[in-house]
Amino acid sequence: MRFRPLLFIPIFCATLWGQDPALKDAFVQAKALWATQGDRENATARFDSVVAALASKAAGLEPEWVQVLCESYNWLAILDDRSAQNKARTQVRLQALIDLNPDFELDRAVTSQRLLALYDRLKGEKYALVKLSYTPEGGRLLVDGKSSALLARQYLPFGTHKLTYSRAGHTSSEIVLDLGLHDVKSADLKLTRTASTVTLYTQPSDVEVLLDGQSMGFATGRAGPEAAFLAIKLGLRPEDLSAPFVIPQLAPGKHRLELRAPCLRTKALELGPEWATPLADRTIEPIRMDPSRGTLSVSSAWPGGEAFLSGQSRGTLPLASVPVCSGSYDLLVRFPLGAFFRRITVEEGKTLNLEVRPKPRIAFLGLEGGDFTGRARFVSHLESLGDRLQQLAFLPARAGESAANALVRLKTSREAELVLIARPVPDKVIHQVELTLATLDGEEERLVVKPLEEDPLGSLAARLNAVPLVQRPGLGFSVLDLAGEPGPWVLAASETALKAGLQVGRPILKVQGKTLATAQELQEALESVKEPVSILQEGGTTALPLQWEALEIPLGSKDLCYPALLAQLRLQYAGAKGDQANLIKLNMALILMQFRKFDKAIELLRDARLTAVQGVSQGTIDYQTGMCFLQLGSTYQSEAMQAFRQALKYPQATLLGPDGPQVAPLARQALEDLK
Amino acid sequence: MFVPSSRLRPLAALICVLPVLAQAQLQDGDLAERLFRTGERAYATKAFKDALDAWQQSLQASPRSEFAPGILLRLARHQVEIEHKPDAAMPYLDRLRSDYIKAPEAAEGLLLRGQLLRKQARRPADLKDAMAEFNRVIDLFPGGPSCAEARLLLGRAWRDQGQWSRALQQFLDAFRLHSGSAAAPQAMLEAAETLDLMGDLPGCLRMLQRLRMQSPQAPEAQEAAWRMAVRVKHRLQKPPFRNDGPWPAGQLKWLKTPTLLALAPDGDLLIFQKELDRAFRLHGNELQPLGPAAPGTVAMLADPAGAIWILTRNGLLRENVAPQPLGALGAISGAALDRWGNLWVADAKTPAITVFATEAGSRALASPTANALAPLPTGGVVVASDADRKLLFLDVEGQPRVIVPYGKDLPGPFRRVLALSADGVGQVAALVDGGDFGQGVVIFGPDGAVLRQATFKALGVNGNITSLALDHSGGVILCDRRNDLLLRLN
Repeated sequence: MRFRPLLFIPIFCATLWGQDPALKDAFVQAKALWATQGDRENATARFDSVVAALASKAAGLEPEWVQVLCESYNWLAILDDRSAQNKARTQVRLQALIDLNPDFELDRAVTSQRLLALYDRLKGEKYALVKLSYTPEGGRLLVDGKSSALLARQYLPFGTHKLTYSRAGHTSSEIVLDLGLHDVKSADLKLTRTASTVTLYTQPSDVEVLLDGQSMGFATGRAGPEAAFLAIKLGLRPEDLSAPFVIPQLAPGKHRLELRAPCLRTKALELGPEWATPLADRTIEPIRMDPSRGTLSVSSAWPGGEAFLSGQSRGTLPLASVPVCSGSYDLLVRFPLGAFFRRITVEEGKTLNLEVRPKPRIAFLGLEGGDFTGRARFVSHLESLGDRLQQLAFLPARAGESAANALVRLKTSREAELVLIARPVPDKVIHQVELTLATLDGEEERLVVKPLEEDPLGSLAARLNAVPLVQRPGLGFSVLDLAGEPGPWVLAASETALKAGLQVGRPILKVQGKTLATAQELQEALESVKEPVSILQEGGTTALPLQWEALEIPLGSKDLCYPALLAQLRLQYAGAKGDQANLIKLNMALILMQFRKFDKAIELLRDARLTAVQGVSQGTIDYQTGMCFLQLGSTYQSEAMQAFRQALKYPQATLLGPDGPQVAPLARQALEDLK
Repeated sequence: MFVPSSRLRPLAALICVLPVLAQAQLQDGDLAERLFRTGERAYATKAFKDALDAWQQSLQASPRSEFAPGILLRLARHQVEIEHKPDAAMPYLDRLRSDYIKAPEAAEGLLLRGQLLRKQARRPADLKDAMAEFNRVIDLFPGGPSCAEARLLLGRAWRDQGQWSRALQQFLDAFRLHSGSAAAPQAMLEAAETLDLMGDLPGCLRMLQRLRMQSPQAPEAQEAAWRMAVRVKHRLQKPPFRNDGPWPAGQLKWLKTPTLLALAPDGDLLIFQKELDRAFRLHGNELQPLGPAAPGTVAMLADPAGAIWILTRNGLLRENVAPQPLGALGAISGAALDRWGNLWVADAKTPAITVFATEAGSRALASPTANALAPLPTGGVVVASDADRKLLFLDVEGQPRVIVPYGKDLPGPFRRVLALSADGVGQVAALVDGGDFGQGVVIFGPDGAVLRQATFKALGVNGNITSLALDHSGGVILCDRRNDLLLRLN
């Protein structure tokens, strides 16, 4: 008899091992000490240590640990009963056991009849026995709203109790019992089936289950041994599968089952009517989800970009064929100046190649000042301004941060290239709001809007979206629109065009086989043609190569926002090389001249060198340099003269564009004025 | 009871009075605003007297109020635009300039003052003060809305002084630095014309094309279209003349002894019919009588506003203006209006040209006896002198810049110039007669070069051609007195 407890040791070892090794060791050793060595004192001490560790958190214990605690009480009651000193504690141990789990059955093999009787007597003082039957089994029992194990016998405290039994695909059953001293009651919990159920397992877990397009929840967790026979068929272990996911009410008819998970290929199953009728519980073979990936490549001519996919850093550019789970992402590339943002979709098995360039970031610093009619509406317009901007990345105002603090923060961190501040124009009644848009270096524009007008930010958004070109495609000739001529009339042509056969003084009849009536139509056509471009005139067809013609951006236009334009050009410059970079410099300088920052403009112009000698070219740069020096006063007169003399070396240089006025006569006049 | 000492009493009194003074100032400011608004409302309903009274009261109630600059500008504008008394506007503008030079309204005020001074000028040297005002606007309000206009006007002033490069610089800046401004299309048009004056015809044509592409809806774009067309036709294409026959097409014997032709700025033809002693405007195919009956008419002109000027043996006749005697000129052979509004008159018996200023008297410019005159876009005129057998292209001061002997670059010389016509962009058409060349038409460029020519014999024109006009399509309209019709050479 003393050896019988030894049989329990391996069982407990198996179940509890790995959860709390020290406590489990103490429990196993306690049983071994008494069973194999008869060492009651040490066994009692170890059981006490187990009780001390678990009793205080009994309400939150896992069922296995509740079992350990119950058994420890059981053993302690036995040990105390055999010790003269501790005998008085026997009843306390049993009472604690009953309070913990009245349904616990004492180990009749090691517990004396006397103790068994005492245990039953103590239990009978507070609890009544309820005999339960479940039809069908496998449902869920709630006793007074709390989940309970499906036991055939259950002790419940005296008083009224509500028992609710439910199961998927069935109506639920509810019984109310009124229990008193010496009561023994029976409860038959019978359910009626109302629908079929479908149980499924997925591999892996954490898969969203959709039935006929409606999300039913997620198949999570791990399956238990009950799913072993299903797992084996697929060569898997049960724990490789998710816990069973039950679709509780499958209506008659056909259904579409869809399973979705990130990085996995979406699976769809058609459930025929036989899955719903006749009414039954059915199980689908475990559904194995296949991985779904594409690749993403991101590159940029601008250096220093760091890519973030939906907030997760993916490293610095370039990203070359990086495997990415298929799906939609927010791609953000942060550059030292500016950022690129786009919502992208990576498709399975495909490569998404992106060439990105930074966009200037505009930080809204907030609407200052007091309340006025329409303020809330105006604020919502401001907050949604970012949705309307195509050329800028919008950074909303931070809650609780003043505009002044935000400006200091941005100047330090350089997280934005532009700032936008809104201030009501002070008046008896506020009817206007002044919007100040500025670069961090202080080039600013102000715009006054009426907050109650239909679209108070319409003009601002339009201006922020407008980016004029600094280059345009051309063919090396200029044309006029003349009444009576069938097409644009060629006024002059470059040597290349003349050599190719273009005839000056004659109209152009067709370009790439298409009839064009005006110079405007010709310019628009050149935006989309591929070279060489065939030009039909009366004498024949000429093939001309496309060439990029430099432009000066228009200044003082109400349709453009110059701080934003300056920020755009600064970013473009960071990714440009050669003549293109220098042309951007020239245009940045022109904007700075508009802001009357002639010293800064000179800094840019001084380093700019264009290889072209016709149109907007080096002569243009020299002339604009001279104009800047002129504005700085007589101190820089000699530098201005030097610049104008330089400009005269390029007699074909023009302002505005290839068809603009020549620089030379203007430079000559400027020199004369300076003499 | 506390009684302040005698030293503290003034301080105490001041402390007591300060709030009252502040309140009074506040009330004055409030009153000034109310009166300003009252004036605005009244002006909007054209109750000008009430408006002016309210504004004057506002100025009196609070001479230094924030509304004072705006009121001064409004009062000045009213005098110019409604009362047509520019002199009465000057005191307001002077005050605006002296007391409120930093106010935003000062830009417009300075600009208006410059415009008034420009109108007062009768010769290039008189433009100095106006130019100073335009320069002030540019220097003080560089990014302001008036700046583009100031650059445009400054450019015109330089052009009127014959400073083409400086004018071009200002015109370019007016549209280059203020693209999209109201002044930009005008500035582009002026820049194009200035480029032509500087001898850059391709640059001029490109600028006109740019204007048409950038501001296709602007009136200046229409202007650019014909200016471009006539330049290309006369100076680049130079096709041989072709007789299109009666013009308008099919109109025969429809006039009563037409003797003089002129072209209005809008392109309409002005015809003087001797039998009716009256001028007419040909608009479309419809003849509209113009001005009073004018027997003895010897010359007919159109001013930049489109009004007709008729010179008779008795003097100058203009609509709504009293007849003006033209001194001792008894044999008027030709006349032209320059850009300053001066009337240049040639007399067949006087070896000089008499220039009549709009409001002042006249002066005589030394010149050979002239038979015909036509204005030039440079501000001067072109003179035909049969006595010297020369065409003289005079500048605004009457100095000859180009001299073209009769018959130069032609198959043979002609003897007489019966009439001259200019198209406003530099081309001059001459109706010539006699000599080896005979009767025909010659078109000269701004530099005096022959662009196109033909004899009537070669064109099959048989009639008594007394006058001609260059139209906006590059054609020449001839006035056939004998057959009572017009002909068009294309």
